[in-house]
Order: sequence, then structure tokens, then C-alpha cells
Amino acid sequence: MGTHVCKNQMVRWMWRWSVCRVAVSRGHMPYCSAQQEPHQANPSHNGQVTHRPGNQLTLCSLLEMGFSENQAKEMHEGATKSRGKHVPSVLTALLLLGLNPSSILKILQTCPEVYSLKGADMQQRIDHLRKMGLVEGSLQRMISHYPKVMLLPVKRVNMVSRLLKEKCLFTIQQVTDILRDSPEVLEEDLAELEYKFQYAYFRMGVRQPEMVKAKLFRLSLSKLRCRHCFLERRGLYQTPDKKGQTLIVNPPLKDVLCVSEETYLKQVAMATAEEFHIFRKLMAREQEEEEREDEYSSDEDEELGEDKDDDDDDGVHRGKPHWKTGYRRDKK
Amino acid sequence: MAAYVCTRSCISKFKESIRFIPRRYRVKTKWAATRPKFPATELALHNFDTSYSIQLRDLWPSVRVAMLCEQKYGALINSFSSAPNVITDLEVQGCKDFISFDCSRNEVHQSSQDSTTSHRDSTKLEPAPLQPSITPDIKCLVFPQGDISRFKPARPDSSGILGYYLLDAASVLPVLALDVQPGHTVLDLCAAPGGKTLALLQTHSVNYLWANDLSGSRTMRLRRTLQSYLPKEFMDENKILVTSTDGRQLGMTEEKRFDRVLVDVPCTTDRHSAMVEENNIFKRSRTKERQKLPLLQTQLLLAGIQATRRGGHIVYSTCSLSQLQNECVVQQAISLAQQELGITVEVEDLRWFAQRFSDTFHFAPQLCVGELVLPHLRANFGPIYMCKLHRIN
Repeated sequence: MGTHVCKNQMVRWMWRWSVCRVAVSRGHMPYCSAQQEPHQANPSHNGQVTHRPGNQLTLCSLLEMGFSENQAKEMHEGATKSRGKHVPSVLTALLLLGLNPSSILKILQTCPEVYSLKGADMQQRIDHLRKMGLVEGSLQRMISHYPKVMLLPVKRVNMVSRLLKEKCLFTIQQVTDILRDSPEVLEEDLAELEYKFQYAYFRMGVRQPEMVKAKLFRLSLSKLRCRHCFLERRGLYQTPDKKGQTLIVNPPLKDVLCVSEETYLKQVAMATAEEFHIFRKLMAREQEEEEREDEYSSDEDEELGEDKDDDDDDGVHRGKPHWKTGYRRDKK
Repeated sequence: MAAYVCTRSCISKFKESIRFIPRRYRVKTKWAATRPKFPATELALHNFDTSYSIQLRDLWPSVRVAMLCEQKYGALINSFSSAPNVITDLEVQGCKDFISFDCSRNEVHQSSQDSTTSHRDSTKLEPAPLQPSITPDIKCLVFPQGDISRFKPARPDSSGILGYYLLDAASVLPVLALDVQPGHTVLDLCAAPGGKTLALLQTHSVNYLWANDLSGSRTMRLRRTLQSYLPKEFMDENKILVTSTDGRQLGMTEEKRFDRVLVDVPCTTDRHSAMVEENNIFKRSRTKERQKLPLLQTQLLLAGIQATRRGGHIVYSTCSLSQLQNECVVQQAISLAQQELGITVEVEDLRWFAQRFSDTFHFAPQLCVGELVLPHLRANFGPIYMCKLHRIN
């Protein structure tokens, strides 16, 4: 219903554009005088938003849409800079969503690439997201917080959701929740996304519902690994065995991931920030070296019969530690 | 890849000689198709979690994470090397000699404290113990707290002698505590692989050093280490003796011969056992050996006490956190020495020593006997336990 009313409003505004000749006294209006062209255009348009030859944005039209003076000026500047050809249709699509003018401005400021989109494409992508289960409210919130999602083609969104459903075995509802809470997922490399899931599933022993509740995909892999390994090495987190049992009670994933670092350190890890800082550096180095090693060999090199019973070893002969990883990526 | 093939061919060529290699030293990890169900490192950690969480309480998680991370090394400077800029080259990278640094800082602090407290009611205070000076000849450079840089391997000078020896900096502490004076004869009962032995020689006060270790292969390693770090003239039989015998026998054969004795016993090497799977003492096949360790350690300490002259010092050290291998062994040895051998041994209070180095190392709060360096991410050295004894009669 609301969209129908909106569409009528659109039609009226389009008509207005073609006849508007208002020479406004405030500020300079370079484009208002170029309104002659649309006048010649075919006025019997069929309500299609994009078929406007010479579609140009006017400050007065912006004002009519509900933008304030300053907002209109900024919008105009941004549009000119980006040289977008279909800016009015883009704005139309955004307005159809029910977003208010200030949100739209913010979106375009954070993500100026939106100016360069085609209105039809954008509408298609938005409709596709709706099909994925993002209802009104969530959809608008997602787009306002993460405008980049509109730049992604439908195919990409499908690939990601297929990965989540087929390889990671999330339910459709869970996939929707993931997209809503962590839209960054759509831009991530698919192999890395799967790796992150496998790390949580096998290495940490977490299952899908917990992952969704803890908004797992918002965190980068290195942050996830850091927080998890810090707890594990302190003895506060254990990977469950085959039966899913542990000797201690693991802290729930959302208490580990969703909280700020200070809260995590104070309540979950019970360590100082200094310790965590040093640990992070050590982890980064460990990761770097593991990656380099994986590049060079797929076999593990063992040192021959060297006695390592003593602690004061010569640094050159450091024994390669067997990290307590239940999870290893097959590199063969 | 080439190394792998070589191993296989070597093993097949010398199949008979396998019988002479103890089972636990044979290279066989690659022959197993799967990993062991319960890796020894996990067994070790489980053992530690059970005992140390009670012993260290709130400190245990921090110690645990530090033991499972890469340890910090110190560079023990080899004063026998003729290379001119060993120390300055290392200092340029950002490290400092913790011995001179801590001593200069904390000695001043100590003396200022003494002067202020002497004005107060002296009956309440214990008299400040006479603090021996720490030998300035041993230099060990470490990176500052929180710095995780690594040392590059030492390079040989013109005569092939290496400039420094990389070891856990806390390993130097027992040698410092031993306080070797010029002209002393020193016995190092379990010397291999030679880090502490090298530190002893850096004092330039040792008249005669006897370095012993039970294992033949480890004694070879000790010999190689000494050869890489000492000039050839030094390896004279009159100055250094390296033997490979059971240290427990030396108590009787060398009674009352030495001024200073270092007993750095074999232990469960906690940090090593938590990280390295190969030849791990927590393997099920080595359970009996591990359970007999405290007895072996007590016997070795007794032998060390026997070998000390009257008035001499003994330092007992391990690299484990376990009370059973540390305080219990010391107390048992002291009482056995009194009851069975009639030797009176007194414990020297090392609190001043721990205070002196508390900026570089993380010491455990008040132990009943001895001092314990705890691993901590800020100062990832240790674990090292040490206890100093004086022979009275």
C-alpha cells in the first residue's frame, strides 16, 4: 500500500521536473535552466522510473523530495562528482524503501558508488534481498548500516547464501539472520568464509545456532582465533571430544565474541590487557610462520633423535612444537 | 624430502643397531599412520592442570598460556670470544644485560630502603641480611618486557668460537646464586647440554670444573658445546673434566672435594613436555620412569651434598613447577642427610636474590623453601626452581 502511494508521488514529481522552471533566488542553480530538454521528452511515460531520457537532478526536485537546503546541496554535489547517470532512479528506489531523506544522504555519503548504479539493478537487488527473507525493518536497517550490499550483484548474494546453506548447513532462517546481522559476509572470499566456519565448528566445537546467536561472521578470522586461543591456552576453553563433552564448562560463544575487549578480558579471560596484547603479537607471528611452512612442504619435518630433555637449548635447535590442534587443513 | 628418504635408508641399513638404541630414542613417528589418540603433550597438560591449579591458584592460567607460547631466550655472552662488538651489536637490537641492569637498579633501591628503615624501631625489623654481590662477569642479554623479538644464531669469530649462547635466561639464575669465588673447584652433577656449565666458566673464578651427565649422547653434546665456546687451551684436563657416569656414585667417590656443587636434576621439564611430543616423559611408556623421578632427584642431591666440603654451597635446580620435584625433594634430602649421613645442611634465604631480579623475572610468591621463576607472557622465562644449601659440618 505504502509503495503504491509512493509510486504516485513519484509520477507527480517526474511531471513536476519536466515543467519546473523555478529560478530560485538562493544560491546558484546551474541545472534548473536546463529543464528545457525534459519538456520535449515524451510526457506519456508509463510510470517506469528509469526511462527518462536526460534524467537530471534538480535542486528543486530534491527539495520537494523532502531534503533540506543543505542536504540537497550536498546530494547534488555528490551526484555531480560521481557522474552518475541515473541518480533520480536511484533515489526513487531508496525512497520506495521508505527511508527518510537524512538516511539516504548518509548512505550516499558513506558509499558514493551508489550514485553510479542503475535504478533497475538496484531495485532488482533489493527485491532479491527481500526474497531472501529480509523483511521490512531488517532490510532498511541493513541497507542503512551497510550500503555496499546494494553494489553486489544478485549472483554474489546467491553464491554466499548457497555456501552457507549447502556447505555450512545453516537453515534458511539462520542464513537470513546472518545476512541481517553481518552483511559483511557477502563481500568475503568464499574459501575464507568456509574456513572461518570450519574453525568454529571443528576447532571450537560450536554448532550453527550458537554461531548465529553470537554473530560469528562479524569478526575477522584472526580476531576469532586470538580470542579463542587465548582462552584455550589459559585452560578456560576446551575443544569438545567426539561425544561433545568437555572437562570444564566452556563460556558461551556470545560471551566471548560479542563483548568489548575490556569486558572479555575482565570477565571471561580474567587477564590483563598487556598479556593479551603480547599474546596477539605472538599469535600473529605463529600464524605467519605456519602459513609460510604450509607453502613450502606438505610433510612435517621431524628432527632426528635429538635429546630435548633440557630447557636450556641452543636457539638454533628449537624443536618444532606440535600445536594442540584438533583441526588441520588438508593441504595435500 | 631428501631428509626423509635418508632416514629410512639409514634405519634399514642399521636395523641391528636398533637394539642398542633405547626404544624411546628410535625414530618412528613417521611410521605411524595416524596421530596418537592421547598425545603425551595433552597428558602432560592434564597433569599440570590438576596439580598446578591447586598449587598456584589464580596464577595458573597466566602461567599456562605463557608455557604454551613461544618462550623467551637470553643471550649468554661468551667472554672467551675474541669478536669485538658482540655486546654492542646485540644492544643495538634493543636488548640489555639484565644482571648488571637489575643489580645496579635494585641495589640502590635496597640501600635507600635500609637507610630509612634504620631510623625506625629496630626491634621490630629483622636485620637486613648481608647481601653477597653478584658476579659481574656473567652477562646475559635479554629483550625488554613485552618485546617478542628473537635472537639471531651466534656467529663464530676468527678462531671459530661463538659469541653467545642462547638459553632460557632464568637458567642463569642458579649459577648466579651459586656465587663461585676465585679459585673454587666446582662440580656440575647433571651438566648436559651445557648452558649452566658455560655460565659457570664465564665467572673466570673456576679453578677446576667437573661436568658430569648420565647420558652418553648428552655428554657428547656437552663436549661439543664446550668446544664451540672455549678456546682449545681451556679444554685442558687439569681445568675441565667431562665424564659420563651416574652422578649418584660421585657422592661417595668424591666426598668433600668441591667448594661449589650445582645439581640441576633431570625433571619433567614442564614447558618442553607441554609443547614437544617427541620423547615426552609423559608418554605412557615412561610412566614408571616419571614416577621415580623424585627419588632419583633426592639421591642426586644427596650425592651433591656429600661431594661438598665443609662450608661449601650447593644449588639444587629444576625446570619444573611441581612441588614434589622441588620443595619436597629438598626437604627430604636435608632430613636424610642429617639422619643417615650425619651431615647438617642449612637452607640459605634467597629472598634478596629474587627481589634483585624481580624486574626481569616473575617470581612465585613466598615458597616454603627456595625460589621459583614463573613463566608469564610479559617475561616468558622459566619455569625454574632453585634452592641454595650450605654444608655445615
